Amino acid sequence: MANAKPLATLRSATGIPTGRLAVWWVLASEVVIFGGLLGAYLMHRLGHPEWAEAAAHTNTWVGAFNTFVLLSSSFTAVLAHQAAEKGNGKEAAKLLGFTILGALTFLIVKSGEWTYEIMHGYTITANNFWSFYYTAAGLHALHVIAGAIIMGFVAVDAYRGRELHRVELIGIYWHFVDVVWIFLFPLLYIAK
Amino acid sequence: MSDHQDHHDGHQVNYKKIYFILLGLLVVSVAGPFLEILWVTLLTAFGIAIVKARLVINNFMHLKWEKRLVKWVLTTSLLLMGLMFAGVAPDVMNHEGNNWENLAAQAAVARGVAGEHEEEEAEDVVEVVVGFSAQSTFTVVCGACHGAAGDGTGAAAAALNPRPASFIDPVFWETRDRDRILTVIRDGAAAVGGSPLMVPWRASYDDEQIQALTDYVMSLRPNE
Ligand code: HEC
Repeated sequence: MANAKPLATLRSATGIPTGRLAVWWVLASEVVIFGGLLGAYLMHRLGHPEWAEAAAHTNTWVGAFNTFVLLSSSFTAVLAHQAAEKGNGKEAAKLLGFTILGALTFLIVKSGEWTYEIMHGYTITANNFWSFYYTAAGLHALHVIAGAIIMGFVAVDAYRGRELHRVELIGIYWHFVDVVWIFLFPLLYIAK
Repeated sequence: MSDHQDHHDGHQVNYKKIYFILLGLLVVSVAGPFLEILWVTLLTAFGIAIVKARLVINNFMHLKWEKRLVKWVLTTSLLLMGLMFAGVAPDVMNHEGNNWENLAAQAAVARGVAGEHEEEEAEDVVEVVVGFSAQSTFTVVCGACHGAAGDGTGAAAAALNPRPASFIDPVFWETRDRDRILTVIRDGAAAVGGSPLMVPWRASYDDEQIQALTDYVMSLRPNE
């Protein structure tokens, strides 16, 4: 009885576990948030050929490295899910730890990149390209930070063998953050 | 105890294989632009992004095995986004239409494209993109409320209370001087007890530009 849970976490009218349904629901709204932002960027970029000049100053290698980091962190997140499915909480916690490490690496690289750019005058108010650049990547970075924090809690629980299903839930969110970056990368770093 | 009533119908994914495919695709998308052929770049950038996203969504997020309801919810979001794009993009991407013209955008394109040729000398982008003309700024930015001619008949004026006065009306100038105009433009009308809808512009324009805007407004004063 000490483990009594709210009814909603125990039953499911849809056949989808409530927690997972909730994550998908969050992601559906995230699709609109990021979709709106990236869509707005895209239409401005197409209407303003002169942005190419500003976009030429983003560093493809830094962007590519961060893409590599996020893809790898997604890989460890899905392996954590696999471990959790087998009931191996300790392994899942370790793999989530690697994912968090990936998040930190991503953020450190990003801060270095931004510091460099800002010091060279490419600030958020320099022009509309840079406004979009910092807004889109900044919103994405906030999602990375939030994901890493939540993952910390989930990992601690998983290590003690508790709430193992949450490993999958944070994983789904994390892969979404990865997918957003998969689109940000060509938009901001490659097609210029 | 285990809350693991759910699991997907025993599907097996070779995660390592997917991961390596993803890395391979990343290499291709970075290599693409080196060929310097536009369509190749676009294909390796966005074509591959879509393939990568699909791989992650299907195999890592397991959307492939998820109940249909979830796919519908996500599709709805995507459609809403498409709707927003289709509705807004034509106005943003064109800079003129039947009865309208986006002067600011046209000027930005013209300036930017001209700026590209000076790229070598340009110390940083900021120099290149910020060209300023008091007249065009007034027409485009302030004109929305004040009217392009400064007569207080901008498109948004009807919605304002109080409405902006007409700068071409001698009566207005009986009680105004340059200092006052400068203060309002720089610090907003609220700074002189007026409407907060006339916002301060000091964050958008530097001192020199505000001086130029003030001169421009002063120049609208009719000579008696
Ligand atoms: C959102 C609408 C809006 C925009 C945009 C706007 N103004 Fe105004 N402005 C007003 C309103 C409303 C007033 C009247 C304020 C009052 O009477 O309290 C006003 C008043 C003024 C006045 C008269 C101050 C006085 O002494 O009564 C000046 C000068 C002025 N604006 C200049 C500008 C300039 C220059 C710009 C562009 C950089 C600008 N405004 C943009 C709404 C706007």
